Amino acid sequence: MNPNIKKRQVDFQVIAQWVAEGSRVLDLGCGRGILLEYLKQKKSIYGVGVDIDFEQILSCVKRGVPAYHGDVKALLAQFDDKSFDRVIFSRSVELLDEPDVILEDALRVGKRVTVGFVNHGYWKNRVSFLTNGSRTMNEVYPKPWYQTLRSNDFSAHEFESYCEDRSILIENRVYLNGNWKDTCRFLPNLMAGYAIFDLAR
Amino acid sequence: MFEHAIYSIYNMNDSEQIPLIPMEGEVGVVEYQEFISSEVFEFESGGTIPELCLRYETYGRLNNARDNVVLLCHALTGNHHVAGVYGLDDRKQGWWNFMVGPGKPIDTTKYFVICSNVLGGCSGSTGPESTNPETGKRYNLDFPKLTVGDMVNAQAMLISHLGIDRLHSVIGGSMGGMQALQWAIAYPERVGSYMAMACSARHNAQAIAFNDTGRQAIISDPGWMKGDYPDGEQPADGLSVARMMAHITYVSDAGLEAKFGRKRRHLGGKEHFEVEFEVESYLRYQGQAFVTRFDANTYLYLTKALDRFDLHDPESLDATLSVVTAPGLVVGFTSDWLYPPQGNREVVEALLRLGKDATYVELALDAGHDSFLLRTPKLYKLIEHFLTR
Repeated sequence: MNPNIKKRQVDFQVIAQWVAEGSRVLDLGCGRGILLEYLKQKKSIYGVGVDIDFEQILSCVKRGVPAYHGDVKALLAQFDDKSFDRVIFSRSVELLDEPDVILEDALRVGKRVTVGFVNHGYWKNRVSFLTNGSRTMNEVYPKPWYQTLRSNDFSAHEFESYCEDRSILIENRVYLNGNWKDTCRFLPNLMAGYAIFDLAR
Repeated sequence: MFEHAIYSIYNMNDSEQIPLIPMEGEVGVVEYQEFISSEVFEFESGGTIPELCLRYETYGRLNNARDNVVLLCHALTGNHHVAGVYGLDDRKQGWWNFMVGPGKPIDTTKYFVICSNVLGGCSGSTGPESTNPETGKRYNLDFPKLTVGDMVNAQAMLISHLGIDRLHSVIGGSMGGMQALQWAIAYPERVGSYMAMACSARHNAQAIAFNDTGRQAIISDPGWMKGDYPDGEQPADGLSVARMMAHITYVSDAGLEAKFGRKRRHLGGKEHFEVEFEVESYLRYQGQAFVTRFDANTYLYLTKALDRFDLHDPESLDATLSVVTAPGLVVGFTSDWLYPPQGNREVVEALLRLGKDATYVELALDAGHDSFLLRTPKLYKLIEHFLTR
């Protein structure tokens, strides 16, 4: 078992709080379908996962989670306005080719959009760059840059100003401390390791 | 018996150890069976035939609850012989032998597997080649217009005849994939899950174009005689060319290149247009072998049934699929230029719009349309896991 499984799932409880019982959920970048399986158990949702990696989709099949193997942008275009109660990006916005365009379309397809991401403004991430001149490597991101997917890292502050720029409503937001467990209420862009936003148009 | 023996060896391993190499067995020697209905069968076109025969094979055992049935649907020129051999000296196994058997993804120690030759086929089921009991002559072009819906309706009669209400799963590739979709639409209450591979909701212009080129090769062969060629004869040249052309659409550029490239058969042939390249020799052989096992009128009927299959009709794809209740898996293959991935994807996109339980997988294999017939770990795992649903 991967020892970081628990840590990787920290945002589940926060995300689940915002998901209404029996709602329709689209998880973009669903990975192995663990979040959808969790939401199905906790909230009896109808959920669909999307991922570009075959092994992840195979894991969804094993879990009985409906999944779509392909491009997020192309699939979103297939759905009518507000056809999902919620569209979720859990640590996947940073991996998108056109985050702006895709977030916009997700806000069209979903009544609400959840975005969970690692805050790269977190002080440890800043210190790491300041002192070592290199990005943080930790138990969640153990691999060096050349072994990971292309990633647009951003800070909580940058995400907030993006929402403001695009007139996206932030209905809820939760910051977690560096341990990704406790809520962070003080200077979140500096002190929070993880951020989860609940967005609407 | 063979199957049983392998299974007991498997069970004898009563230590907690799980074998490192998955144990696989063979279904062994099999026999086909026939289902004969003496009721009038009505086609979707309104045409009728006075009686109907479906030739089929089964593997594994029907459980007491009668809920472990997996129905397999074959492709255009396939038949009911999915797995096993007809005798100990038979070297040709069924068309999906590697997928069906004890310990294989479609595990015959768990599932009761059925496959029938389609209605309109020429491997023992009633089709244009069969004798019309009312006239004592072959149906030929008097055989009613055929649809994929007719094929599935006939299969449903067979399933009922076997005392089975509901299928655990229905699986097929290509024309078989269309039948699987048709099952989920026409008999939602009888389908537990379905898997459709290398298929589409309807033929695109290119697929129709290929099919009609094949049909024209047959029709323009003088041996076709407006469909009335006598028993034991057929427009072999036309059918052979149709097969050669179709065969190219089942494989891929990369596949052909890897297998043949520009390899030459022999240099310095006396005749200018003799077989020169390996690929020519291969295709001609495929064409010639095909005419010994397939009937030309049947080819016309089945290709027409495929061209007319259209889940967008009469209203929209979404409207047609709205009745589906079973979870479905659709698999497209990147190198399939006959039924390209987007045609497969489109089906799942519609199902997801409708809030159905559907999964789409796109496999990057370079064997073209025939990729679903390839033994690959990815397809293996997909089918094995989806079947447990």
